[in-house]
Amino acid sequence: MHDMSAHAAAHHAPPSGFIRKYVFSIDHKVIGIQYTTLSLVAAFIGMALSWAMRIHLGWPSASIPLLGLLSPNGAPGGVPTPEYYLSLMTMHGTIMAFFVLTAAPMAGFGNFMLPIQVGAADMAFPRLNMWSFWVTFVGFAVACATFVIPDGPPISGWTAYAPLSAVGQVAGPGQGRGQDLWVLSIAFFCVASLLGALNFIVTTIDLRTKGMTMSRLPVSTWAWFINAWVSLLAFAVLLPTGLLLLLDRVGGTSFFIAGGTVVNDKVLPHSGGSALLYQHLFWFFGHPEVYIVIIPAFGIVAHVMPAFTRKPLVGGWKVITFATAAVGFLSFVVWGHHMFVSGMSPYMGMVFSVPTLIITIPSVIVVLVFAFSLYGANIRFTTPMLFCLGFISLFISGGIGGFFLAQPAVDSYLHATSFVVGHFHFTMGLSAIFGAFAGFYYWFPKMWGRMMNETLGKVHFWLTFPLVYLVFMTMHLMGLTGVVRRYSAYVADFMVPQIPTNRFMTVAALLLGATQFIFLYNVIWSRFKGPKAPDDPWQATTLEWDTTSPPPFDNFGGRQMTVYHGPMEYDGDAFVMQTSPEKSLTGT
Amino acid sequence: MSESELTMATGHEVVMEASPYHMEKKKLGMWIFIVSDACTFATFLFGYGYMRVGSQNWGTPFEFSSILNGIIMTFVLLSSSLTMLAAVRATQAGQKASAIKWLGLTMLLGAIFAALHLREWFKMFGEGWGLFSNPMGGAHQFGACFFSVTGLHLTHVVTGVIALAFIARGYNRGRYDASHVETAGLYWHFVDLVWMFVFPLMYLMNAAR
Amino acid sequence: MSSKQEPGMSSYAGIVVGLMIIVVIEVILTYQHLPVRTLLFCLLCLASLEAFVGIMYLMHVKYESPLLFWTIFPATLFVLVMLNYLWPDAYRMARMSLGY
Repeated sequence: MHDMSAHAAAHHAPPSGFIRKYVFSIDHKVIGIQYTTLSLVAAFIGMALSWAMRIHLGWPSASIPLLGLLSPNGAPGGVPTPEYYLSLMTMHGTIMAFFVLTAAPMAGFGNFMLPIQVGAADMAFPRLNMWSFWVTFVGFAVACATFVIPDGPPISGWTAYAPLSAVGQVAGPGQGRGQDLWVLSIAFFCVASLLGALNFIVTTIDLRTKGMTMSRLPVSTWAWFINAWVSLLAFAVLLPTGLLLLLDRVGGTSFFIAGGTVVNDKVLPHSGGSALLYQHLFWFFGHPEVYIVIIPAFGIVAHVMPAFTRKPLVGGWKVITFATAAVGFLSFVVWGHHMFVSGMSPYMGMVFSVPTLIITIPSVIVVLVFAFSLYGANIRFTTPMLFCLGFISLFISGGIGGFFLAQPAVDSYLHATSFVVGHFHFTMGLSAIFGAFAGFYYWFPKMWGRMMNETLGKVHFWLTFPLVYLVFMTMHLMGLTGVVRRYSAYVADFMVPQIPTNRFMTVAALLLGATQFIFLYNVIWSRFKGPKAPDDPWQATTLEWDTTSPPPFDNFGGRQMTVYHGPMEYDGDAFVMQTSPEKSLTGT
Repeated sequence: MSESELTMATGHEVVMEASPYHMEKKKLGMWIFIVSDACTFATFLFGYGYMRVGSQNWGTPFEFSSILNGIIMTFVLLSSSLTMLAAVRATQAGQKASAIKWLGLTMLLGAIFAALHLREWFKMFGEGWGLFSNPMGGAHQFGACFFSVTGLHLTHVVTGVIALAFIARGYNRGRYDASHVETAGLYWHFVDLVWMFVFPLMYLMNAAR
Repeated sequence: MSSKQEPGMSSYAGIVVGLMIIVVIEVILTYQHLPVRTLLFCLLCLASLEAFVGIMYLMHVKYESPLLFWTIFPATLFVLVMLNYLWPDAYRMARMSLGY
């Protein structure tokens, strides 16, 4: 049934002038590129912060270049104080988790590709989309501003646990203005994410072109759609949590501060609050957040792989999509596994542990679909495909650590050790990033009309892949020995023997960081000097490949896009585009 | 090839899949927003519940005069929902003047609600209530919970009144149509529905009985 | 495009009056010296009833596609149900401050 009277997304005239075209643009493609660029900048800032941390852990008295310039108070002579180390750690986590991992795979690629993949001319609410980006940008600017204010960034971690985050300046450096700015930054990010999620949902539901039934959607679109729902519900809870925290900080309330709290020899007047309440509310958002990070990566890998295995995924679109939806749903039921040792009711420990083990089932199904889809395939080992393969390996490795952490008894030992840090870096920092890289290399030709250098891409992959294992698998092992996370100094005897391990990881991490410049160079060089890209360089089937590279301002040049097939019509060298009326190759 | 596939204009009217909700996109967008806003209010209310359950001497300070004020505020808001419905009806029937009148009435009722609310707030401030002060010696979280929950709701009401003003002006000038008014109506009813929970939980549960 | 057999304004007025009556019932119940838990339960039930009526009639969901109902209700109720996981720790806080 076709609804002729349904108005498509704003068929706006092409914009003119630099500001309208590239700055305050309502074109989803420009906005997607803006988000991606922001994430790239954020990623390098976040990485630089990690280098500072890593150097300090390996060589505690070393002077770190440029750090003394950034903060003479926090790093006199370039050596970070213990508090400043925590500031670096806090902003590393905040910038990476929010402005890189939540922004790039979802807002970056999703904004660019989702309307095209469903056959629309733009998102459902283009102006709202523009606001979403600029609010995110302001959030990022505010987060970066914490580095230049005299007192520095907050020290409470990306999780900003109360009461440390709630009591204000008395708690230490960065906990005054720095924490205020942090809360503001996150509040902006929440609002932008909520509006973005709304846009994704309505676009996927209402703006599909003729023939694009929900069962013919590319899996990446399904993933963004599912993720938008998860984002909507999760960020809707983070926003009030931040507001309550702000009230505690500036309004004198005691939502999260218990009675008799003594901070730096000062007895605080607050009473009646509960730090546990903060943790519950934060992790209610925080756990779905980590799935908000990974679900787009699932979608990207599911989308990219068939083009290079030249066959549909095992189970078609249904298995992978339902498994992803199950992951999204279950992500709301497990948050307490971050709180096993928090003093939460032990019965709740059981209540959260069981679903945490259950959520591994759909996650494993997703990864097995990817792995089994390789069987019998004549694989084209392009750079995007390599990163997909890397994803499979990294997600399995990281996921296995989750089995241990899911059990309260084991977690009581492993909690707050480097094991946890290794686990979430594997699953979030590496798997999601590899998914993002796969998407980046895959979609670069479409986004900028030029091909990336394949040799540099392969070098990037083959250096990055072993190095991430060297850094983060070692981190798991170090955690098993009991090394505590978020400590800048080796306060206990049992940690001192791990200094050589830390040095090893630091060297590997710095090499890993240096390798990313190969990627950056490739991006910048190819953007301007890369060979021109054809419409469909990968011989792929989905709608984004049925238009020019880059697409015209209304995506399809006014053509009526009609969809006849699902997205996985591959059979070796033969393929049928979604918009082609030819017969299906897969019999669907 | 079907008739619809042939009737394709260059660049503007393209054939799309029908919306499975049989609803145009701004209305669907408003519903999605309402879902998220409901979760936001729920978080505040659960936080209030947590504070109350966990505290020893919560206290129930509201005398009947406050409850009566609350009843009047509730009736005002419910009436505004009715006038909003009348406005939507009028726009659907193309009765522009009538629609503007009903929209104006809705805004007026919303403003009255806000005024009554603020009057109550200032009376409480005068008695010594604040974000962390409880003049009756009970849990000082009372003020924190009461003012934050009702404050968030009040913000929604005021934003709603302002939005209705823009919608009414746009509708009058022909820039907006019945669907815009209906979408704004959804938001307005939602704000009323939230009050259906705020009034019993914040006022009646704290009534001095 | 949404209304099938929508009620007239007089029906809406009746619905709003009905909601006002529920509010009055809530107030009456408040002054019946019920135990706190019972009062809370009754008030929540009545408020939920009001919200349901409001959503179905005032916000027209009864006259929209069933898919809308089955989208907004499960999503919102899911979050509301999950937030109830907070209560064990709220009660523990109460007990701990009493010393047990």
